[in-house]
Amino acid sequence: MKRKELKQKLWKYAGVGLLMSLGNISGIAQNTSMPKDSAAMYYEVEDIPLPDGLIAETGSIGFLPDGRFVAGFHRGEIMIYNPKTRIWKRFAEGLHDPLGLLVVSNNEILVMQRPELTRIKDTDGDGEADLYQKVTDDFGLSGNYHEFAFGPVKDKQGNLFFALNLASNGAGIRPEIRGTYDSLSRPGRMYACVDYRGWIMRLDKQGKLHPYAVGFRSPNGLGFDAQGRLLVSDNQGDWLGTSKLFHVEEGKFYGHPAGLIWKKDFPRVVPISLPVAQLDSMRTKEIVQFPHGYFANSPTQPVLDNTNGKFGQFGGQMLIGDMDHKYMIRLLLEEVNGKMQGACTPLNVGSKMRIGNNRLAFAPDGALWVGQNDHGWVGARGIQRIKWKGEKHLDLMAMNLTKDGFDLTFSMPLDAESAQNVANFKFKRFYYEYHQAYGSKQFDVKEIGVKSISLSDDKTKVHVVLDDMKAGYVYEMRLGEIINANKTKRVFNSLVCYSLNQLK
Amino acid sequence: MNPKLKQAFCQFKNVLSGMILLASVPTMSEAQALSDTTITIKVLGGLQFDTPRLVLKPNTRVTLILDNHDDMAHNFVLAKPSSRLKVVEEAAKLAERGAKMNYVPSSPLVIASTKIVEPGNMETISFVLDKAGQYPYVCTYPGHGYVMFGVIYVGQSYIPPFEKDTNIPESQRAGTGNEHAHHGHGMPSSPHPYPIEFPMVYRTFMPEASPAAIAVALTPTESYCWDAGKCYLRYIWTGGFVDNADQWKGNGSKLTKVEGEIYWREKQFPFTIGTKKMVSKVDFKGYKLKKRLPTFEYTFDGIKVAETLEWNESAQTITRVFMLGERTQTIFFNLPEQKSVSYTAKNGQLKNGVMAIPKTVKTFSIIIKRN
Repeated sequence: MKRKELKQKLWKYAGVGLLMSLGNISGIAQNTSMPKDSAAMYYEVEDIPLPDGLIAETGSIGFLPDGRFVAGFHRGEIMIYNPKTRIWKRFAEGLHDPLGLLVVSNNEILVMQRPELTRIKDTDGDGEADLYQKVTDDFGLSGNYHEFAFGPVKDKQGNLFFALNLASNGAGIRPEIRGTYDSLSRPGRMYACVDYRGWIMRLDKQGKLHPYAVGFRSPNGLGFDAQGRLLVSDNQGDWLGTSKLFHVEEGKFYGHPAGLIWKKDFPRVVPISLPVAQLDSMRTKEIVQFPHGYFANSPTQPVLDNTNGKFGQFGGQMLIGDMDHKYMIRLLLEEVNGKMQGACTPLNVGSKMRIGNNRLAFAPDGALWVGQNDHGWVGARGIQRIKWKGEKHLDLMAMNLTKDGFDLTFSMPLDAESAQNVANFKFKRFYYEYHQAYGSKQFDVKEIGVKSISLSDDKTKVHVVLDDMKAGYVYEMRLGEIINANKTKRVFNSLVCYSLNQLK
Repeated sequence: MNPKLKQAFCQFKNVLSGMILLASVPTMSEAQALSDTTITIKVLGGLQFDTPRLVLKPNTRVTLILDNHDDMAHNFVLAKPSSRLKVVEEAAKLAERGAKMNYVPSSPLVIASTKIVEPGNMETISFVLDKAGQYPYVCTYPGHGYVMFGVIYVGQSYIPPFEKDTNIPESQRAGTGNEHAHHGHGMPSSPHPYPIEFPMVYRTFMPEASPAAIAVALTPTESYCWDAGKCYLRYIWTGGFVDNADQWKGNGSKLTKVEGEIYWREKQFPFTIGTKKMVSKVDFKGYKLKKRLPTFEYTFDGIKVAETLEWNESAQTITRVFMLGERTQTIFFNLPEQKSVSYTAKNGQLKNGVMAIPKTVKTFSIIIKRN
C-alpha cells in the first residue's frame, strides 16, 4: 500500500474511533460553568513516522537497553527505530506473524511467532540478526489460522510465559499437523484438537515447557502487575459473555472448556459437552469484565506503569489497550477476601489517538508507545507515542469496595458541591452469563440508587453508599459534572465498571 | 500469467463475483409488477459481505438469507438511501442497550434488519423494495459499520464500475491490488520496507508441508521448502519464489502460493539408522544465516545435522551440503527416485538412492540436477 493510501486509511480508522467513543466521554451534557478541560490538555499523541513499504500491522514492540525501539510486523519484519536519529533499520525478517517479543539485550530478542518461540540474535555485530534459534516449539499446530501465539513475558524467577490460541471453526485444519491430535476437542466454535491450545504455557529456566493454566480462547495479552501477578486478557466470544482479564495461577481453569482435553488425567469426554453448571463450578472467575461494545471489544496487552511518575499520576497501576477504542484502559484493582477484583475505566489521551491498540511499551523516558494492528478485523495500523505533558488531571485513582458501597479516591481535592451531589454518581448493575453461545447480553440490568455520599476531610475521597450490593454483577458507575476544589478541572473519564465477585 | 494480465483478470472476477445481476436495468417508466427473489449473502472473514452489491427491479420482494461464515457475530441492516453512516452512528449511540436491540437503532431510516447472527448461523428476513434508489446495507455490530457494508441498486439507469463504486468498501473494490505481494521472477516491488535481496527466507503456511514450514529463495527463480516441523527438505521449485498476498491478507488463513514449478519432492525423513524402520525422533534447532544463506540445524535420535542448500548458477544445480555430529553407528541417507532429476553424491556413494554413511564421515553433499 502506498503511504498516501495508508494515511487515508489510518485517518478513516481514527474517525471510527472518534465516533465510537463519543457516547462514552460526553454522555453528560456540558454545563457552561464547567471548566474547559479535556484529555488533549494532558497528553500529547504523536505518530511515529514509518519507513516506506512497511505495512504496519504491529504485532510486537519493545525497547532495547540502549533506548532504541524494536517492533515486529505481520509480514515477518523485525525493525529497529532510533528515536534520536529517526531512522528505521531492519533487524530480522521472514518470521511467521511475530505477535510478541521480549528484549534480551541490544543484539538479542525473543520472538513469539506462530510455530515457535525463537531467539533472534546478531552474532557478528553488523546490526542484523544471523541466528534464529528455536527456544521451544513443544506445542501443537493444526494449521488453523486462529492458532495465534502471544507473549512471552518473564517473571522474577526467570520463567517465560506465553499463550496459545484456540483454533476457529471459521476454517478447518491442515492435512499435516504438528503435535498430538485429539478428536475429542475438535467439535465446537473454537477448538483445541492439538496439544495445549487454549493454555498459558510456562517455560522454565532449563528450557522445559510446562502447561500452566487452561481455559483461554484468544488471550491476546499477558503482563505482570507491580506485585508480580500474571494478568491475561481474553476476548468476548463463545464461553466469554464479554471480554475479560484474568489473574492466572498454575493449574487453574479459566472458563473456555476446549483446552481441558489437554489437562492431565482429565476424563475422556468432549469438554464442551459437560454441563455448564459443572464447568462453571470448576472455573476461576475473571478479575475484571470489560463491557462489550461501548467499553471494549478486544482488550489487548496489559502493561504496568513503572515510569515512576514520568507518564503521570498512575504509577504502579496497569494499563491495557483495546482494538476498537481510541483510548487506553486503566485498571483499578484490589484484593477482597484474598482474591483480586476491580474496575476498568478509559484513559482518554485526546482525539489523535487511533484504534487498534494492540501492543504497549513504555520508553525509557516514560512515554507510552502503542503498536496498532487490524489483522483482518477492526483496528488500525501504525505506531503512536503518548507523552504526558506534566500536569495532573482530575481522575479516579482507586475504587475500593466497602460493606455498603464504594470508596472512590480522586487525584485531587474535589469541589464539595459537585462531589456530594447524588446526581453525579449514577450506578447500575448487570451480569453476563457464562454459556457456550457467542457473547452474552446484559442480564438483570438494574439502576442502583445512591443512599448517601460523604466526602473525606481532605476532599479527595468520596464514600458512596448504595441501595444494594450483590456479588456476581458488574457495577457500572457514570460520573457526572464533578469538578476539583479549585474549579479548574472536571472529570472527563466518566465511565467506570467494577466487577464485583466478592462482597466485603 | 503476467502481473498485468493477472490484475485485469482479478478485476473481471470481482465484477462477476461482487455483483449479482438479477434483472436487466429497467427504465423508470416501466410499470412493475411485484416479483420475488431470494438472495443469500455470506459473511466472510475480514469484516465483509461476500456480495457487496446487488441490482434489482423496483417492486421486488426480497427474501434475504444472511449466512455467517465468519468467527464473529454480525447483523444485516438495510437502510434508506444515503443513510448508512447515520444508521451506524445511531447504532453506536445505543451503547450498552445495543446488544439487547441487536445493535439496530429504532429509526425510520432502517428498512429491514436481522437479529445478531452468531458465527455459523443463518437468518432469513424479507422486505419489499418498491421504489428506485440506492439502498445501503451494513453490519451495525459495534465497530463493523465503517468497513462492512454494501448496496442494493433498485431501478438505477447508471451503475458505476465496480472498482469505482464508493458504495462498496474500499478493500473489496480494490480486490487484492493494494496488498499484492507477487515477487520472485521479474519482481516489481518489495512488499517490505527494504529492497528484496536473495537468498531470502519466509516462515509461512506452505502447501504440501507441516504448518511450521520455511520457504527459501536462493535466487529470484530457484526456491525450496524446508519443513521445521518434520526437519527435512520437502520440495524444490524453479521459476519464481512465493506469492504471500493471500496469506498476509487479514487473519492469515490462506496458504502462501508457490510461484513456479515444483520439480523435486520428498515424502519422508531421509536419514535412517541401521536397518530399523522406526521413525526417528527429530528436533528442530533453528537456522543460521551466512550472507543471507540459511543453514538448518536439527537432531534425529540425538545425532546433530546441519543442512545448507546452495545454487550453482553455472552448473544449474542445487547442492545439499550436510554436516554430521558424533554418532556410534553407520547411518543411511535415502533419496526419492524422481525422473525429473539426477543425483550426484560427494564424499559417499549412492546405491539405488541410498547412501551408507560410516560414523567417521563428518560431511557429504548431494547435487541435484534437473533433467
